[in-house]
Amino acid sequence: MITLENVSKSFGKNQVLKGIDLTVNKGEVVAILGPSGSGKTTLLRCINHLEKPNKGKIKIDNFQVDFSRASKAEILSLRQKTAMVFQQFNLFKNKTVVENVMEGLIVAKKLPKEEAFKKSVELLEKVGLGNKLNSYPVQLSGGQQQRVGIARALALNPEVILFDEPTSALDPELVGEVLSIIRKIAKEGITMIIVTHEMAFARDVANHVVFMDEGVIVEEGNPKEIFQYPKEERTIQFLKRFSEEEMYYI
Amino acid sequence: MKLDLSFIWTAFIQILPAIPNTLFITVVSVFIGFLIGTFSAIVRIYKVPFLSQIASGYVTVVRGTPMITHLLIIYYSLSMLLDSLAKNYHLPFNSASIPMMVFAIISFSITAGAYLSEVVRAGITSIERGQIEAAYSVGMTTTQALKRIIFPQAFAISLPNLSNTFIGMLHGSTLAFIVSVVDINAKAQIVASTNWKFFEAYIAAALIFWGITIVIEKMTSLLEKRFSVFSRGGVK
Repeated sequence: MITLENVSKSFGKNQVLKGIDLTVNKGEVVAILGPSGSGKTTLLRCINHLEKPNKGKIKIDNFQVDFSRASKAEILSLRQKTAMVFQQFNLFKNKTVVENVMEGLIVAKKLPKEEAFKKSVELLEKVGLGNKLNSYPVQLSGGQQQRVGIARALALNPEVILFDEPTSALDPELVGEVLSIIRKIAKEGITMIIVTHEMAFARDVANHVVFMDEGVIVEEGNPKEIFQYPKEERTIQFLKRFSEEEMYYI
Repeated sequence: MKLDLSFIWTAFIQILPAIPNTLFITVVSVFIGFLIGTFSAIVRIYKVPFLSQIASGYVTVVRGTPMITHLLIIYYSLSMLLDSLAKNYHLPFNSASIPMMVFAIISFSITAGAYLSEVVRAGITSIERGQIEAAYSVGMTTTQALKRIIFPQAFAISLPNLSNTFIGMLHGSTLAFIVSVVDINAKAQIVASTNWKFFEAYIAAALIFWGITIVIEKMTSLLEKRFSVFSRGGVK
């Protein structure tokens, strides 16, 4: 179980997160929705400390970090318990596809090379890239790169995988292949927090939906509650743009 | 004016033994300069208190003064310092016993370090933030991320600038004659001093420098090819 407690973050005078509390159960798929600038990506980046929160706490099972006085060692173990899939993929450009997946296993998890290689090949086959092991990221399409990014995150066996708008930088044609992979791993019971604009996807895949605006969680609940019976005015207004029919197109 | 073509050839042959001196000074000082430059680039990028101010000061002072000045200052200050230390502590030691080449190498390393600091800094800062974030996200420490992800990419991007500095230092190393090191250029002077055919001797020296430079350019382009496997980008 992952618990966030009173997580706050300001960039200068601009308070982006205003004391967020959030609980994510094991195996749960949480979708975070909200307009641009609502703080959803910042919240995600605070979870693995790519953004340093000004205050707040995170608890993953028995491991707890107080952000206001986190040590280097604590940050490192927090990052080793989480993995991230980035909007811009961020594959290691100087590494081949298989090396990208192996990197965390060898360096952070201290796995022997052969074992890391075996595991990486398995995962790459799972995301349909078993034939691209020795390609470099520049030689792949966006969809393929993001699938490597997902394999890289899966390899670490993390407590939670954080997805930061995983399909926003993709051509519409390539969105499907990435979403279907995420859907596949969601079924395996891996805990995931997904920041997304893909409403139909969020509704189908998530067990829990969080709607954020202006640095606070406006409303949260199961997909049915949020999409069909939203209570807050702000949520209703935001979801209005995605009518039932449109959602099937997405 | 008559050009003695055959003496160009004679001079060429006689200058060849000076090549190792030139190459040794250049390679060693660029290597040490690269270490200094990398260190000062990192302390500046991470704004390490105290060290980053020293590094910035070092870069601006050294780049703001000619290479020949560095050599003269290092030569006079170091030898005076060593001699006075020896005198005060009664050490059986004398600055004259230090090979002249050492002064040249120390001075040129300092020069190269300042220029390379900027080259390395530009290389590192040109790598997008997402690369180190991805390294952090898989659980790497900053040192591991720099070593495994950032430096290899920065090196590939910096190759043209590194080779530029290397060639600059190769040609600049001719100043070593100031502290009576016999490099390619000094050797040309010596060769010509017997028959006053300076023009021919300098042409021979120029040909040798050009040859070495071409070799450096070829090596750079081979390296670039190797690295372009992953860093293909920009215009082409």
